[in-house]
Amino acid sequence: MVTVEGTAVLRQNRLGTKAQDFCNWPDESLRKWDSTLVVQQHIQQNVRAGCSNIDKILEPPEGQDETEHLKQFCLELNGLEVKLQSECHPDTYTQMTAREQWICLCCPAIDYNRHTFDGAQYFPGKISIKESSVAKLGSACHRIYIIFSHAYFHHWQFFDEYENVTFLCHRFTNFVLKYNLMSKDNLSAPILEEEAQNSVSRESEA
Amino acid sequence: MDEQAGPGVFFSNNHPGAGGAKGLGPLAEAAAAGDGAAAAGAARAQYSLPGILHFLQHEWARFEVERAQWEVERAQIAFLQGERKGQENLKKDLVRRIKMLEYALKQERAKYHKLKYGTELNQGDMKPPSYDSDEGNETEVQPQQNSQLMWKQGRQLLRQYLQEVGYTDTILDVKSKRVRALLGFSSDVTDREDDKNQDSVVNGTEAEVKETAMIGKSELTDSASVLDNFKFLESAAADFSDEDEDDDLDGREKSVIDTSTIVRKKALSDSSEDRDTKEALKEFDFLVTSEEGDNESRSAGDGTDWGKEAYWIQPEMLRPNRSKLQDMLANLRDVDELPSLQPSVGSPSRPSSSRLPEHEINRADEVEALTFPPSSGKSFIMGADEALESELGLGELAGLTVANEADSLTYDIANNKDALRKTWNPKFTLRSHFDGIRALAFHPIEPVLITASEDHTLKMWNLQKTAPAKKSTSLDVEPIYTFRAHKGPVLCVVMSSNGEQCYSGGTDGLIQGWNTTNPNIDPYDSYDPSVLRGPLLGHTDAVWGLAYSAAHQRLLSCSADGTLRVWNTTEVAPALSVFNDTQELGIPASVDLVSSDPSHMVASFSKGYTSIFNMETQQRILTLESSVDTTANSSCQINRVISHPTLPISITAHEDRHIKFYDNNTGKLIHSMVAHLEAVTSLAVDPNGLYLMSGSHDCSIRLWNLESKTCIQEFTAHRKKFEESIHDVAFHPSKCYIASAGADALAKVFV
Repeated sequence: MVTVEGTAVLRQNRLGTKAQDFCNWPDESLRKWDSTLVVQQHIQQNVRAGCSNIDKILEPPEGQDETEHLKQFCLELNGLEVKLQSECHPDTYTQMTAREQWICLCCPAIDYNRHTFDGAQYFPGKISIKESSVAKLGSACHRIYIIFSHAYFHHWQFFDEYENVTFLCHRFTNFVLKYNLMSKDNLSAPILEEEAQNSVSRESEA
Repeated sequence: MDEQAGPGVFFSNNHPGAGGAKGLGPLAEAAAAGDGAAAAGAARAQYSLPGILHFLQHEWARFEVERAQWEVERAQIAFLQGERKGQENLKKDLVRRIKMLEYALKQERAKYHKLKYGTELNQGDMKPPSYDSDEGNETEVQPQQNSQLMWKQGRQLLRQYLQEVGYTDTILDVKSKRVRALLGFSSDVTDREDDKNQDSVVNGTEAEVKETAMIGKSELTDSASVLDNFKFLESAAADFSDEDEDDDLDGREKSVIDTSTIVRKKALSDSSEDRDTKEALKEFDFLVTSEEGDNESRSAGDGTDWGKEAYWIQPEMLRPNRSKLQDMLANLRDVDELPSLQPSVGSPSRPSSSRLPEHEINRADEVEALTFPPSSGKSFIMGADEALESELGLGELAGLTVANEADSLTYDIANNKDALRKTWNPKFTLRSHFDGIRALAFHPIEPVLITASEDHTLKMWNLQKTAPAKKSTSLDVEPIYTFRAHKGPVLCVVMSSNGEQCYSGGTDGLIQGWNTTNPNIDPYDSYDPSVLRGPLLGHTDAVWGLAYSAAHQRLLSCSADGTLRVWNTTEVAPALSVFNDTQELGIPASVDLVSSDPSHMVASFSKGYTSIFNMETQQRILTLESSVDTTANSSCQINRVISHPTLPISITAHEDRHIKFYDNNTGKLIHSMVAHLEAVTSLAVDPNGLYLMSGSHDCSIRLWNLESKTCIQEFTAHRKKFEESIHDVAFHPSKCYIASAGADALAKVFV
């Protein structure tokens, strides 16, 4: 709900707002906000504007740190997780597997997902990024990538459905490469190529 | 012959010397005996060597003996000298005393004579007596010493009495100090005051277990003259206008000069609010918003039935009195007794532009003051603390930007576990959500909290499992479980009455039921699909409000699709009944059960109406009175409605910063007050029905006393995301926790 009082726009989701109107306020440039949650606001605003516009979303505003993007990824991956919850039974997927014999022995796939999202040990600071968490970012990205690839290879219908709506995997791979959070030697190579092929094929289809 | 005389002398000298030097005696005798034969032989020879040796030895021994004797005597002499000195000093003191008394007597006579006859009495030497040069500097303070001596004696006596009845020094001294300060230091008055203090205090302590609570009251009842003195203070009591906000007549401890004793002008009616506001704005730039808060929180609605008469001081009176008060404060600080308590005495005053330095001093001194025995001094100090807290809170709000650190200055005061006066302090920070937290619900029994967030998840937290803190002031808690099923932001959550189920509603229009897990599970346990009970389908748009009815095991929900629905929670089935209100009242924003009547529910709507419905008959019973201006913009929305747990009162939180109280039976507005600087978003009432907590988008949470409708504590918490700050507040139903949910993805718990 947008109320205009004078020239100020009130960005509040008042009670009773309809779902489609949620966060339905005009965009604003980063500089005008005097809030401490600026980066998150900015990212979310861009995502709402168009989630296929990956470059715009990933374009770094001032003072951005990668953790905010990661948080946003975790947030949005939640949707996929919800879909997978009913699908990814612990009995069927007793270990977290991804492509090419990569196996995580610690827990079933669904639990791996939950641990990744719920652990959130790698978001210590709200505002600034600390030195120690840079290493954690790498491992976090790795885990998220594993989740993507597991979904891609084992639950591909859900993956496709979800990806078509949110373009999340695209964005994630671009993000990881742009900020060098993961090395290409990791599992990123196979899925990236396939991603690239898929995106090319989709573009050609479209 | 010398040599013969030597041994001869030796022999004759031996005997007198024997008493003093027995050790030498045998030696001498042995030598003598041994020498006897030799002496007889040596008597013939002159200067034999042994003879000389023995002579020398003897002399040396004698010398040593005498020296020892001298030492002893010298010690005795010193001792006697000391005694003599002491006696001399004593004599001097007594003489001085006599002179002082003589002088005092002369002065009294002079005074008496002057008063009686109007002329000076010729008494001769009226100079203060002079002393020996040793006691030089006593002269000028001597007359004061006299009266001070009497005061001291009197006070000692009082203290003794009070200690016998179990009352400590600190509170007594502080009280007497304040009374004296306010009454102008005149000795007559002070003497009377001391007596009154003694009487009132003794009465108070004898009559009441809550000793400090009675002080203010017994002073009232006992001494009318004290009241007279206080009345003149109504203009001078600028400092206490703030305490009015904090005042609570339910036996809450306050500082000595209790606001209840001060007669104030009657509250002006609503129409003059603006006038008052303007006056306040004129007077105080930086305090303007707090003044507004003062004014309007005291505006009398129709038929106010407050517990006490609510008066308040005209703002014009406040400014000139501030300087007067600061003079008093300066006087207080000059008095040398109990310096550590002085600032806390002074702290309830409204700090002026020297706010920050004074604050620092006060804080340091409050820390110091807290080392006093907690039982007595605390209540007084807590009055000071709290006034200071609210002062700072308002000041911060009024003047500064919103970018506050959540753990603000107000929390540095140590934990006070006084059950009579609860000051809430932040304890836990719940940090794990990725996006703002929209709602929270406490478990009815366990120290467990469930939060619902815009990141599509709900998380369950066990407050007894804390993680090592990153910040020193509050502990971090990690969630023990994350509930995932919603496909959009989760907007509301409630728990069942036994805490085993919880229900959440989100923008996806679903109400999800969950079986809450054991609070002691490991966060990294494997996924259990049985946690999800299944969705309650029916709403077609975002579900914004939920309420659980324990009596019927029913769930109420309100949604942006305009309907209110009642569900049976024991089965996953469509709604039992739908209140499709034809949207004449608007879109329902919040719903709650009426505690006093389990078949009723109260709902508030976006257009500013609040209605009570009967769930059985599905009829609207009555619409609570509301001043809805249809031409106004959407700022008339009501954000939350809650029902008082024991009284038939509904309380609503409004977008236009007000909190309003309605009577459920008549539908009339009981009271209305401006509560915050921005929209009030959430309300919670404590299980006993004594306190109200309100959260607002101005980043503040306020705690109100429901009897007096005054704010007793304020927290600044949470940062703003977009323009939203605090979405929800809650009390724990059985334990001493309060929690707040913020748009900054944090939930904070206070104890």
